[in-house]
Amino acid sequence: MSGFAWHIFAFAALGVSSLVVAYRTWVLIRLPIHLRWELAPIPHEKGKGRYGGSYLEDYEWWTKPRARSRISPIVYMGKEILLLRGVWQHNQSLWPLAFSLHMGMYLIAGMLLLLLVSAILSLAPSPPYVLHSSLRIASVLALGGYLLGGVGSIGLVLKRALDSNLRPFNTISRYANLLFLGVVCVSGFYAWIDGGDSVPAMSRLVQGLITIDPNVTIAPPLAVHFVISLLFVLYLPLTDMIHFIAKFFTFHQVRWDDEPQNERMERELRVLLAQPVTWSAPHVGADDDRDWTGVAGARMSDEEEP
Amino acid sequence: MKKSLRIEDFSRGGGAQLTEVVIDELTPLPPPYDKVEERPGWRSLTEEQQGRVACNLDGVVAVGLPKPQNKEQEERTIRQFTLGLRKLLSRENNWTFLQPLTLSLDYCAQCQTCIDACPIYLGSGKNDLYRPTYRSEILRRLVDKYVKPGGKLRARLGKGDVDLNWTTITRLYELSYRCTLCRRCAQACPMGVDNALITRELRKLFSQELGWGPRELHEKGTVLQLEVGSPTGMKPHVAKDNVEFIDQDFSEVTGLEVSTPWDRRGADVLLMHSAGDILSWPENAAAFAILCNAAGISWTLCSEAPGYDGVNYGLFYDDIQLARIAIRHAQIAKKLGAKKIVLGECGHQHKAFLAVADRFLTGDLSIPRESVMAFLENLVFSGKIKFDPSKNDFPVTLHDPCNMVRNLGIVEPQRRILRHLCPQFREMTPHGVDNYCCGGGGGLALMSQYNFTDWKVNVAGRMKFKQILEAFGDQPGPEVKKYVCAPCLNCKIQFRDMFTYYGARERSGLFFGGLAELIVNAMVDLEEPFITWEEYY
Repeated sequence: MSGFAWHIFAFAALGVSSLVVAYRTWVLIRLPIHLRWELAPIPHEKGKGRYGGSYLEDYEWWTKPRARSRISPIVYMGKEILLLRGVWQHNQSLWPLAFSLHMGMYLIAGMLLLLLVSAILSLAPSPPYVLHSSLRIASVLALGGYLLGGVGSIGLVLKRALDSNLRPFNTISRYANLLFLGVVCVSGFYAWIDGGDSVPAMSRLVQGLITIDPNVTIAPPLAVHFVISLLFVLYLPLTDMIHFIAKFFTFHQVRWDDEPQNERMERELRVLLAQPVTWSAPHVGADDDRDWTGVAGARMSDEEEP
Repeated sequence: MKKSLRIEDFSRGGGAQLTEVVIDELTPLPPPYDKVEERPGWRSLTEEQQGRVACNLDGVVAVGLPKPQNKEQEERTIRQFTLGLRKLLSRENNWTFLQPLTLSLDYCAQCQTCIDACPIYLGSGKNDLYRPTYRSEILRRLVDKYVKPGGKLRARLGKGDVDLNWTTITRLYELSYRCTLCRRCAQACPMGVDNALITRELRKLFSQELGWGPRELHEKGTVLQLEVGSPTGMKPHVAKDNVEFIDQDFSEVTGLEVSTPWDRRGADVLLMHSAGDILSWPENAAAFAILCNAAGISWTLCSEAPGYDGVNYGLFYDDIQLARIAIRHAQIAKKLGAKKIVLGECGHQHKAFLAVADRFLTGDLSIPRESVMAFLENLVFSGKIKFDPSKNDFPVTLHDPCNMVRNLGIVEPQRRILRHLCPQFREMTPHGVDNYCCGGGGGLALMSQYNFTDWKVNVAGRMKFKQILEAFGDQPGPEVKKYVCAPCLNCKIQFRDMFTYYGARERSGLFFGGLAELIVNAMVDLEEPFITWEEYY
């Protein structure tokens, strides 16, 4: 590819992928408030989250101020995201490969961030050692990321195929996701080996992309890795591999949502309760005139009208 | 018959049984319950039953769905089920749980991390059918294939396939009642996916769209409660008569004046028992009367239906019924002018009224509601009643009702009471928010048709029974009487069935009861023990 082809491909892939991720996130944000369905432990319960307690343990809890910890949920989620604590606690045979895959992704993400920072730094006068150091760190992250990501994803393909616990639930798409990720990592690793450290070349590529330089050139192994990676970026939001976004909602808006009803909620609830109900079972008693309030507030059979 | 199941198997085989429970493969129990030859039998379905109702799942029948009369009925059911799937994903019909359901359907990584958290899967000896992920994956694939655009193509291209037919629907209906909704699996899931919620949504689809629900939960449950006041069938005057009788009886037994106020306007506390306690465990109702009166609390029961029965089986299977009962309870409390409602010793009542229905109770229906655990803790440590812990000097362990503990985080008040009043209190392993379900959660304790009780006591409650025995492992024999404190009506029903089945009272000296009884038993003012070790069956 020559001229602006790389630029168009890269920005189009990133743009489309971001739009799809944003859309899927927006869909989750737009879902209506739901009935409470919290699940202990809830780490923001100050002094109680440690053993799974909640404010409902308090005598006349509604008369007392809520003591909420801001730090504990961050610590909890930090361990969950970085160390895969849940998998460690409940599925230790899966943890080494799952951890390897996820840590690989985190290192690659760190590498990309450093490349971006380096590219921006190189556009303005900055001490050479800063640029040099960031590229050296990026090199280590790249190598570690490709290795761990590759081992994790290919290892998980094998584990899924061989483990009798996992095998009945496998689908072609689940294998495809892991294989695709594996190919990204293996191609990156090959490019790194082939170039004796591909990071400086990647840095120049990033710099060329953000400065819209038409003379961007890439060695074939890195070009292959770049194309595969961008295709993966396009594919990612179409899969459940974006569970890193869903996880925010499953924890913060479901498991940890123990907020008693308040005025803001009530306004939203009144709108929801005014919606029609069309469930068909006879006991529901839905008809064209009754909304949720009408159906749920149905009088007892022996109660007289006021 | 096969144990290793694939998802695709579920829609195949018509009326044939999909798998079976092999009693020799169940998780072993400690002695003296480990001898195969001494195990009580397992009831098989009769030929008449097999000819009448769908029994194509695991050789167990809980719901007793009649077999279809003709092909047309099958096709009508399939159409209606598909319609129900769409409603489950619609904002109008299912705003109540749309977000949690969407997240759980769309983002499961199929890592199977949750399976070893499930007491039913463990108790069954790891039967694939009872994996929390199995029924969820079937629903997920049905939604993907039959509701989402391009689903049939995606299913063929490798997204995962399962066919929707009469077999799938009937097996799913039965399978939705092989889960206690304890949510141990959800707690273990690194993504926050909730397979118990998916199970409940499935039950909801059957109930709210097809009108299918277990008789004990629907006709004899919520419908009866909304019609007469209580699933026990007790009308208001009967409830009052029964409580009056309990008061008289326990006044004689204890020598104290046991009296229960009814319909006292403006009382500080409106106490909502589960009416099942009034009928089956009257000592629990009496214990509350003794404690409230001794502490000088302004309290009352309510005789307006269904104010004397705090249960709400809608929590197990139907949002509409859940809302109707919760709204009625709140309306009654408001009418009575009660300052707060204290929820009795009943786990699902806590979950339904304290949390789940909270967002149905808008405006002036939002009346303060309190757990009985917090109420009793305040009462015990208020200094208004004198206690002598040596009266409770026998082995005691605590069962954590899932709906009260894991699902609401009410963990410590009951423990602080037991540590204070019971010198030989010991925990089970695991306990607190990591507890095992009694095996009767999600409404299963109430269901006993066909051979379902055998399944409940052998499979669903197995891990709980095992951990109770292990908690008393230092004194296993029947010569030492042991108390399992179970502050929940449904858990007590399950323990009654389970202990009776295994002969646990005779063989291990196991008894069970509520928390209030233990508190009263430790009262200095009581001359004779309140716990007699004879009344609990």
